[in-house]
Amino acid sequence: MATELKERVQALLNNSINPAVAGHGGYIELIDVKDDTVYIQMSGGCQGCGAADVTLKAGIERMIREEIPEVKDILDVTDHAAGRNPYYSPSKG
Amino acid sequence: MLRLLLLVPTTTYRTQDFVEAARGLDVDMVVASERPNVLSERLPDNLLTLDFADPEKAARAVAALARIKPFNAVVPVDDRTTVVAAAIAAALGLPGNSVAAVAATRNKHRMREALSKAGVPSPPYLLFTLADDPARAARQAPYPSVLKPTLLAASRGVIRADNEREFVAAWRRIEAILKTDEVAALGAGADQILVEGFIPGREVALEGLLVKGVLRVLALFDKPDPLDGPFFEETIYVTPSRLPADTETAIADVTAWAARALGLSDGPIHAELRVNEGGPWVIEIAARSIGGLCSRTLRFGTGLTLEELILRHALGIEIESLERAPGPTGVMMIPIPRGGILEEVRGLPAAKAVPGIEEITITIHPGQEVVPLPEGSRYLGFIFARGVTPEVVEVALREAHRRLDFGIAPRERA
Repeated sequence: MATELKERVQALLNNSINPAVAGHGGYIELIDVKDDTVYIQMSGGCQGCGAADVTLKAGIERMIREEIPEVKDILDVTDHAAGRNPYYSPSKG
Repeated sequence: MLRLLLLVPTTTYRTQDFVEAARGLDVDMVVASERPNVLSERLPDNLLTLDFADPEKAARAVAALARIKPFNAVVPVDDRTTVVAAAIAAALGLPGNSVAAVAATRNKHRMREALSKAGVPSPPYLLFTLADDPARAARQAPYPSVLKPTLLAASRGVIRADNEREFVAAWRRIEAILKTDEVAALGAGADQILVEGFIPGREVALEGLLVKGVLRVLALFDKPDPLDGPFFEETIYVTPSRLPADTETAIADVTAWAARALGLSDGPIHAELRVNEGGPWVIEIAARSIGGLCSRTLRFGTGLTLEELILRHALGIEIESLERAPGPTGVMMIPIPRGGILEEVRGLPAAKAVPGIEEITITIHPGQEVVPLPEGSRYLGFIFARGVTPEVVEVALREAHRRLDFGIAPRERA
């Protein structure tokens, strides 16, 4: 079950998500799938990016859930503070 | 399912807290930013791109989408999206503040005019543009005076001048900021300098929610570091306030008066006031919640975050309690000591070990440029503390900050 889920999530990342986030120099790595929880890690332009939460919670999560409804949770294990090249950085405006 | 439109600038500090709050509600979350998200093409109904600089155009775009799938609420997450949110709400027939009221909060001169006209205690002011002669303007100014761009936020470009020489120097420094491409692009009013009389006293920040025109105070923060200039860098916020109860009541009354004067009647407000022997004076009031990551000091009822509370209010979902969860808390916006390139942050474990410190979040990444006020628009990070008294919270924040050491290399060396 977990192996099959992992393959389907990996395929979604490979075919739809990573080609898009590459536009901002980003990359989403599938770390693991345990039960119905997917663990991902963001790197490149996504790591520490001010818009990473939008990309993850309004984008990646929705795409995974729509494509693979068995997935219940998507957890981001990225150390965003260690990002060296975030695409957007927050400011007071 | 309720449908929520969040207006999230790509560079706001507020993204995580608002998106997390929305995710915790059973709503269809749609996020709009001023630049396309990398997944916008895959999720065109949920990741929108709107021209925040043109509220009417943005409102038309959202109204077209809403005809197919209606929205129940539109929520701006920070200052930059309050006006466009008001325009969209008006176009969709959703409750909210008028565009005119919110626009007045985004222009310091219009705000001063509205407050002055209503008699709200606020500083005297004069308006100039970069086309004016600074030496002549200096002769008209009250002293001490505070010069500030009408369109910028968060103390950016705000400088005190005690005499004509300092006035002209401050003017020249602000002029350089206003002539940057980023600021000039703000359009009408981007070349204006507002000159206010300096109001001495202790500064406080009031976080509130307007419900059908009635102000509900969510939190009152003391700012224990003196903000006397020449720059006005905000550092420590601690709540509850240590001011006497009658002074706190007066602050709330004057804030409510200011909100009415501006025509604000709904949603979050963040007000900054000075308190002296003359009572409270309104320095600024904004139609948004507290900035940066500072809201993380607040919980309401049985644990609601400020963002959850704001979203529930906007969506008409029941709010159990507007009472702040008990216990003094505080935050320090870590100031930038000097300009350069951030190389490393030392002392984090020691700082986190200070009793009462709950979290330290560094928001500038190694290798990035750091620019202090008045030109800068970012913080190094945020320190969060909790304690048995406000004094204990303040001491913890100062001690944690003392243990941090920021390696900043000169720009030319980096």
